[in-house]
Amino acid sequence: MDATERIEKLKTEALSAVAGAGSTAELEDVRVKYLGRSAELTNTKKSIGRLPAEQRREVGRAANLATREIEEALSEHAARLTAAEREARLKAEAVDITLPGTPYPKGHLHPTQRVIDEVVDFFVGLGYRVAEGPEVETDYYNFTALNIPPGHPARMMQATFFLDDGLVLRTHTSPVQVRTMLAQEPPVYVIVPGRVYRRDSDPTHTPMFNQIEGLAVDRGLSLAHLKGTLAAMARSFFGEKTKTRFRPSYFQFTEPSVEMDVSCFVCGGSDPNCKVCKGAGWLEMLGAGMVDPAVLEEVGYDPEEYTGFAFGMGPDRMAMVRYGIPDLRLFFEGDLRFLRQF
Amino acid sequence: MRVPLGWLRDYINFDLSAEELVDLLSLHSQEVEGVERFGVLDGEVVVGEVVEFGPHPDADRLHVAKVDIGGQVVQIVAGAPNPYPGARIPVVLPGSTLAGIGKIKRARLRGLESYGMMMSERELGISDNHEGILLLDDNYETGQPVEEYFPVGETVLDIDVMPNRPDLWGMIGVARELAAILDTDFRIPETRFETGGEPTSDYILRVEAEDLCPRYDLRRVSSLRSGTSPIWLRRRLYAAGMRPVSGIVDATNYVMLETGQPIHAFDAGKVRGGIVVRRARPEERMTFLDGRTRTLDERMLLISDEERGVALAGVMGGEDTEVGDETTETLLEVATFDGRNVLETSARLGLRTDASGRFERGLDPNMVDYAMDRVTQLLCEHCGGRAASDTLSHYPKPVKAWEVPLRIERTELLLGTPVSEDEAAKKLRALGCETRPEDGKIQTTVPTFRRDLRREADLIEEVGRLIGLDRVPEELPGVFSPGGLSADQRKVRLLRQLLADLGLAEAITYPFGPDRWESDLTGDERDSREPIRLQNPLSAEARNLRRVLLPGLLDAAARNRSFGVQGGALFEVARVFEPDPPSAEFREAAIRFRMTGETGGEVPDAASLMGVSETLKVGAVLFGTVQPAEWNTPETRAGFFEARGLVERLVPGASFEPGVKPFLHPGRSAVIRAQGSEAGWVGELHPETAEKFELGGWPVAVFELDVAFCDPDPEPRFKPFVNVPAVGRDLAVVVDSHIRAGDMLAAIRDLHSPILAGMRLFDLYEGSPVPEGKKSVAFNFTFQGRETLTDEDVNSEVERIARRLEEEFGARVRSS
Repeated sequence: MDATERIEKLKTEALSAVAGAGSTAELEDVRVKYLGRSAELTNTKKSIGRLPAEQRREVGRAANLATREIEEALSEHAARLTAAEREARLKAEAVDITLPGTPYPKGHLHPTQRVIDEVVDFFVGLGYRVAEGPEVETDYYNFTALNIPPGHPARMMQATFFLDDGLVLRTHTSPVQVRTMLAQEPPVYVIVPGRVYRRDSDPTHTPMFNQIEGLAVDRGLSLAHLKGTLAAMARSFFGEKTKTRFRPSYFQFTEPSVEMDVSCFVCGGSDPNCKVCKGAGWLEMLGAGMVDPAVLEEVGYDPEEYTGFAFGMGPDRMAMVRYGIPDLRLFFEGDLRFLRQF
Repeated sequence: MRVPLGWLRDYINFDLSAEELVDLLSLHSQEVEGVERFGVLDGEVVVGEVVEFGPHPDADRLHVAKVDIGGQVVQIVAGAPNPYPGARIPVVLPGSTLAGIGKIKRARLRGLESYGMMMSERELGISDNHEGILLLDDNYETGQPVEEYFPVGETVLDIDVMPNRPDLWGMIGVARELAAILDTDFRIPETRFETGGEPTSDYILRVEAEDLCPRYDLRRVSSLRSGTSPIWLRRRLYAAGMRPVSGIVDATNYVMLETGQPIHAFDAGKVRGGIVVRRARPEERMTFLDGRTRTLDERMLLISDEERGVALAGVMGGEDTEVGDETTETLLEVATFDGRNVLETSARLGLRTDASGRFERGLDPNMVDYAMDRVTQLLCEHCGGRAASDTLSHYPKPVKAWEVPLRIERTELLLGTPVSEDEAAKKLRALGCETRPEDGKIQTTVPTFRRDLRREADLIEEVGRLIGLDRVPEELPGVFSPGGLSADQRKVRLLRQLLADLGLAEAITYPFGPDRWESDLTGDERDSREPIRLQNPLSAEARNLRRVLLPGLLDAAARNRSFGVQGGALFEVARVFEPDPPSAEFREAAIRFRMTGETGGEVPDAASLMGVSETLKVGAVLFGTVQPAEWNTPETRAGFFEARGLVERLVPGASFEPGVKPFLHPGRSAVIRAQGSEAGWVGELHPETAEKFELGGWPVAVFELDVAFCDPDPEPRFKPFVNVPAVGRDLAVVVDSHIRAGDMLAAIRDLHSPILAGMRLFDLYEGSPVPEGKKSVAFNFTFQGRETLTDEDVNSEVERIARRLEEEFGARVRSS
């Protein structure tokens, strides 16, 4: 048998061995056997130089062709085997994907705080700063400076917790208006969230609750600015379709005073049996008004030069409406069955 | 203010449904809280004459009547026994609808046909009397509709009158208001009565406390007869929310409801000498109309005769001079008292009455004349009274109408909408003001019954609500300063968000608690001081302001436990309150500041006069199984390290030092220090404390931090790094059990190794094969240098660390 025939035979053997290899490891053995350092074909190629000159070219060509053909077969088969093996491995690695994932706990922010954060962010977007004040407040800041002098019947409307001489638990966030104005010159644009206290305890009143107060004092502010501001807030909070209306009201520290209703965000006034608005179509939302000139004078602002508006809302009640919470008392019990819903 | 619409029509004509009125009043004046209906809503009531009346044959408690209802005799079954043959009674015909009852149908009652129903006063909406059928007198003609004698149905609006509008506490005021809204007229009943009664001047009137009594008028009405008021009047009182009593009392109440002016009628026969208006004497006692005797003091204004108190001014009359069936003449008091004094007196005695509620808002003294004449008229018409021709009056300083100028440009500025001068003036006139142009302004003369209209802004409000607030457009102010949260406010927001994201639930708890909170959490140096106390707590359980957040959170944890929760974690960001009283020398200055806002010259600053320091804290409680086990994660139970880990996250660089808080486990708690100060504390609850808060036997871990020390997201600062491979190495050492891990970590840190880039304490082990009294502590170090480190570099550094641990802690390296 001459060299080329031998090469042909080796090639045939090799190709059939490649085809028969059942794993990448077996395939490697085949490669070593037929193309490795000490394989016959390799040796043949190495010894070509010793062949007579007329054979060299033909044998060389045959050897190279055979090598290339085996290599191609090897790599093709290797790709096939690798793919099959990967597939088998992946199959073996499969998990029960219906098992729950590793827990990353969900946060629970208090529903009132969620409302406060949202309202505060809205006003921050309008250019307001956030002002704060003490919860133990003086008689002067809580009442007198807000045009509610001693003996005024309006004091009776706010059942007050009294402390040491001249101190009270603030009954509203309004004293922060006074503190803010005393501390700075106009223009003033502040939003004031905070806890307030009234001596009330029944199914719809708790001795502590939250308020958000707003105050703007500038040149040329009018009831229209108040209306535009609050209507924009209502749309932001209750949805773009929300309508608002002003009704006259009374607060000692605003004149004119108004209350604002928002259209029921559930039924829009179309359902006489609506659980949220009780068929009225409107929800009482907040009290507001133009800052009373007496309050501006008290803090040393000139009411002829500056006008302002103030408003106050109850984020607890807003949360009740928004999330469908039936009972205010749930807010302050720290009950996880409640808190974990938010 | 309850406004029966049938009554309101005495003063004003309107063609509006109750619902339309509710809307109009709500949008232009006062909120209407409700609409209530009485009597016959729909249908017909006729006068019937009882022909026969007897017991029902088959029912013990029922009766059967044959009733002539005008040319037709019908059979009616009734429960009441009082009708009799010949009695005239109201009969509501089948098909009618009654408030609170529904539709009246032809019915069979125990086998007998019943045609409609004979009616009680309650069913007709006259009173709450349901004892028997209303018996009508002979003026009522059989077969005639009852409606021809008095209305059989009524609709009542319940108006929530704001405290600045005492004028709306009377029907006339409501009519005036409605007329202004509707741009129509209203009318006030004329008063006419016969005089010729006994003279008032047989009595004296002396007002000693003039400062508390701007006006006091007294008139005698004699030859009165006892009896009830006419039905039309009683049903109006009842619909307005008052109980009809007797002819005389009903007349005073009727005029109070009509005008807003309270009126008191004394039995003149029991008044000795006359009326003296004076301050009560200390400890003076008087028995009131309600039968109770109360002790008065010299701050209270008393109406007395020459001998004893006969009424507490503006609050309630006395029993001695109460009018009754035998009363034949009365002294009528129509007066104005100082509102604040009435308010304080009724608050001191805990005695609020319809009258005191009206007086405390401040009434118009000029209303006295009309109210006096009007009540006199009613007493003459309905009770046979004859009025004295004289009236004793104390009114030394008559109140006159005042002027307030209104600028139209100011009106437009405040309302944010164009308003014409004509329009504004017209609205003000509709409210009873007089207007005239003067110097480009609307000079407005305000009637004395509108005591709330003193300033331009007050008038602008009136114009605004009458033209309609819906005319005000929506605009946004142009704000020229940037808004935003301050750094501290952002921090609090981040803190709350972070704790929530770490799985805790945010709570809001009450800041007041019982004395027990103090005693259960005492032992601290500051506890010799009293907490801040509420003077009027809702209960003793809520009388101290908290000085730590802990108790509220523990109560919440206990509450959760009692409802079967397996565990959880709560946090709260809120204030705590510490007494910070000013020194004795500034005590007076402090009270002056608190009452007037004034700080004197030598006083340090306002904050020091508050007497309370408020600190914002963040507190948390972990209890029971904080996170239950999942199939691939173990459970997390409340423990020191769970709490400490949270603190480390909130206060970077915090150090934890032993420090015994009496309510914490002495071996599992620490004081947290940051920036050189005490920032808070962390630990497991002392078992005794746990028991006091009904958390006994449960793992509970808590912490509380001053928010000022928290820095959950410190401002980052870039540090350069090198692209050189890092090398990891473990080192396990054996030390005595009492050696503290933190000290070892600190010692390693103190080596200031130039190549040590990170370390972790990853294993802690006691028990075989580690000898007793020893523990194995394993560290993992990450080394990195400016250039690739050799094995020798790393080995020598690990050896240096091991040596230091040996020198300082006697640590022996564990061979692996």
